[in-house]
Amino acid sequence: MPAEWGIKIAGAHRFAMKNGTPALAAPVAGLTAHIRKGPVGGANEDAVLALNHALVRSHLGLEISGQTDRIIQIDHWRGGPAAHVTSAVQIEVAAGASATVVETFSGSAAAHLGNHATRIKVGDGASFTHIVLDKSDHISRHLASFDYEIGADVRLRSLVINDGAALSRTYISANFGGSGSHGDFGGLNLAGEGTHLDIPLDIVHAVAGTTSTELFKQVANRGGKAIFQGRIIVARGAQKTDAKMMMAGLMLAEGAQILAKPELEIYADDVVCGHGATCGDLDDEQLFYLMSRGIDPADARAMLVRAFVEELFDFLGEGDLYDVLHDVMSGVASDWVAGQ
Amino acid sequence: MSTPLLEINDLRVSVEDREILKGVNLTLQGGEVHAIMGRNGSGKSTLSYVLAGKAGYEVTGGTVHLKGRDLLAMSPDQRAVAGLFLAFQYPIEIPGVATMTFLKVALNAQRKARGEAELSTPDFIRVVREAAGELEIDTAMLKRALNVGFSGGEKKRAEILQMSLLKPSICVMDETDSGLDIDALKIVARGVNILRNPDRAMLVITHYQRLLNHIVPDKVHVFADGRIVKSGGKELALELEKQGYAGFDEPALDSATGLAS
Ligand SMILES: Nc1ncnc2c1ncn2[C@@H]1O[C@H](COP(=O)(O)OP(=O)(O)O)[C@@H](O)[C@H]1O
Ligand SMILES: [Mg+2]
Repeated sequence: MPAEWGIKIAGAHRFAMKNGTPALAAPVAGLTAHIRKGPVGGANEDAVLALNHALVRSHLGLEISGQTDRIIQIDHWRGGPAAHVTSAVQIEVAAGASATVVETFSGSAAAHLGNHATRIKVGDGASFTHIVLDKSDHISRHLASFDYEIGADVRLRSLVINDGAALSRTYISANFGGSGSHGDFGGLNLAGEGTHLDIPLDIVHAVAGTTSTELFKQVANRGGKAIFQGRIIVARGAQKTDAKMMMAGLMLAEGAQILAKPELEIYADDVVCGHGATCGDLDDEQLFYLMSRGIDPADARAMLVRAFVEELFDFLGEGDLYDVLHDVMSGVASDWVAGQ
Repeated sequence: MSTPLLEINDLRVSVEDREILKGVNLTLQGGEVHAIMGRNGSGKSTLSYVLAGKAGYEVTGGTVHLKGRDLLAMSPDQRAVAGLFLAFQYPIEIPGVATMTFLKVALNAQRKARGEAELSTPDFIRVVREAAGELEIDTAMLKRALNVGFSGGEKKRAEILQMSLLKPSICVMDETDSGLDIDALKIVARGVNILRNPDRAMLVITHYQRLLNHIVPDKVHVFADGRIVKSGGKELALELEKQGYAGFDEPALDSATGLAS
């Protein structure tokens, strides 16, 4: 085991998940952690999720009550010889609580197959931010599922970033089960040569008076493929739903592939729902302007890619904690471009 | 005579097989300010873009030397490092790039390429504050995305701010006066005049004479149909103001479409 492992986020309260095995960290106010036998609960109609339920031995359970002012990190790390690593996390955010949880994935250069599932229940009036960052080695395969069960008057923010495994599927599902709730779902696929990144998303507005935004950005270079399949379902009776889904793609070279499949299934009549998709390459006028100020072409391109994704991190706001997180997140994009 | 800062020799440029510049000759010595005046469509912006190295313009003949170096062989970023600066007629908006970040990256890129040490953040902020104050630019504006949501006047002042930070040897200003009210024009002119010195030359492209009341040129060139048709002292600008372009470019052109077109 190397002395340095995982992804460091300064000031975060860190739980280690080495090769899928949960470990407890020192207690903090407002947070209780357990290790429980067996899988997390909830639906498992999805084949990958069903496999996770069947194979996982134990999972990390986090109960959040009150306000936790430190960022909670779950640091997933896969190491040693190539293996099939199954892991799971259950997070319960009590009514009125507020917290930020960051899950990071990283590991050594072996051909691991990861299958991870996190199930999150957000109680009434709670406010919850969940960020997922895959920085696994390129040789690994990464399957992950994130499910949100949302109560009433909730503020939820979800962001996934894929810049690791060459093959990844990040399945996001959410069910709005209480009125007055709002969720913002964001995601970023950074697909370089030989990379296939897929984000399927299923959002269900099950009751009246809930709103959501979905903003997914994908950047692909030659030989990279990035896929977003977003589905929003508005159930019968879920009046006054407002849901806006957007995919924006940036192609850096010929031979890059960006795919988007938006779907709206609407069974109520008094709703505002929409979706859009745009795809383009870097703007030549902008590149020329930056270069005309002495910035070399590689740096100018990196600035524009970072600018393209920056909007996803706007919510992080100000403050030391969030500055650190912002640097980690937007650093991912510029590091990725530099490596292309 | 010492090596000119900028020497343009019989420059011919085509866009999509149409000749736009038809043999431009121009020499700028250190300390000189030259004005280029001409009708819309005469090729002034084309000249400024070709100097800055924008793609899409085919140089079919002639040469351009900056301090004796072959400018046309350089990429746009190399030209900037070599000392060329173009203040754009229409500055480009770049959402997602904070103006302050951009200024720092550009300044340090040039310092690094010239083998100079990068500026520390406090030094950088001090330099920007000073230059911004001179141009009456509110520092709150610098926190916003580059040129996004800037008024026409703010964009032009931001161009001059960049120019004063980057300290180029050749300043090309493409219609920096257009869209400015008289107060903004005076601020911009003052910012430009501060930068006048014996090691620097300026090419001021304008459609109107009024800018030249504030930035007094050493020479004025009248540009028509892709070439300089007449050159003279600053009084030539006043003559143009009175008579319009009709007396200077092709006699077939209607004087009614002169200066105010
Ligand atoms: N990128 C371009 N593509 C096609 N035509 C162009 C392009 N740029 C300039 N032109 C043409 O070249 C001529 C000169 O334009 P320009 O240099 O913008 O003139 P000015 O700045 O003097 O108004 C015009 O006829 C214009 O239509
Ligand atoms: Mg022009």
